Amino acid sequence: MAVESEHVTADVIEAMEFPDLSQRYGVRGVPKIVINETTEFVGALPEAQYLAHVREAVESNGKSSQ
Amino acid sequence: MGFISDPDKEAIRNHFADSLTGDVEIVMFTEHESPIIIPGKQPCETCKPTQEILEEVSSLSDKLTLTVRELSAAKEQAFALGINRVPAFVFEGAARGRVRFFGIPSGYEFSALIADLVDVSNGSTDLSEATREYLSALTEDVNIKVFTTPN
Repeated sequence: MAVESEHVTADVIEAMEFPDLSQRYGVRGVPKIVINETTEFVGALPEAQYLAHVREAVESNGKSSQ
Repeated sequence: MGFISDPDKEAIRNHFADSLTGDVEIVMFTEHESPIIIPGKQPCETCKPTQEILEEVSSLSDKLTLTVRELSAAKEQAFALGINRVPAFVFEGAARGRVRFFGIPSGYEFSALIADLVDVSNGSTDLSEATREYLSALTEDVNIKVFTTPN
């Protein structure tokens, strides 16, 4: 997704190497995906469902301006 | 003894030859081993193997280059890229957004590394038309963190 949009930054994080990040984001299973600090899910999802989570994160950002 | 076996190297070299169209620079941030032990500071145990993996991968195509920077000496560049820990690396290629890796790219992350290099080289993905349309119309910043483990 980061390849397709200049607005997207994608981080691949090795959870065991950075326990501080894993703890902060409550990583108990992998792959765990956190979008904009607000939306999260665990496991590989079909593309359409993945995109639905991205939409959800973008829409909730609009409601609570940071 | 390398990290990638010879048959895998051959397979990746062929895959890169078939798939890479544009140049990609892998910019890695690291911390070299210090002869001084600083209390409370953990040495970066995965920095050296991460660099070795990236050296091996970048040697498999002349479209790939690797630049290694010491985090403490390249703080401004690292800050601009949002990198504050090591090992970490980013790709400079045809991606519109930014892909960052934190930690050693072994196991599942290794496949992600190879796939992402191809996408960044080509500036395109195999995402569906609908997803690409949505992404190209985005006006707000989106950060996606994917936590993985080596196996």
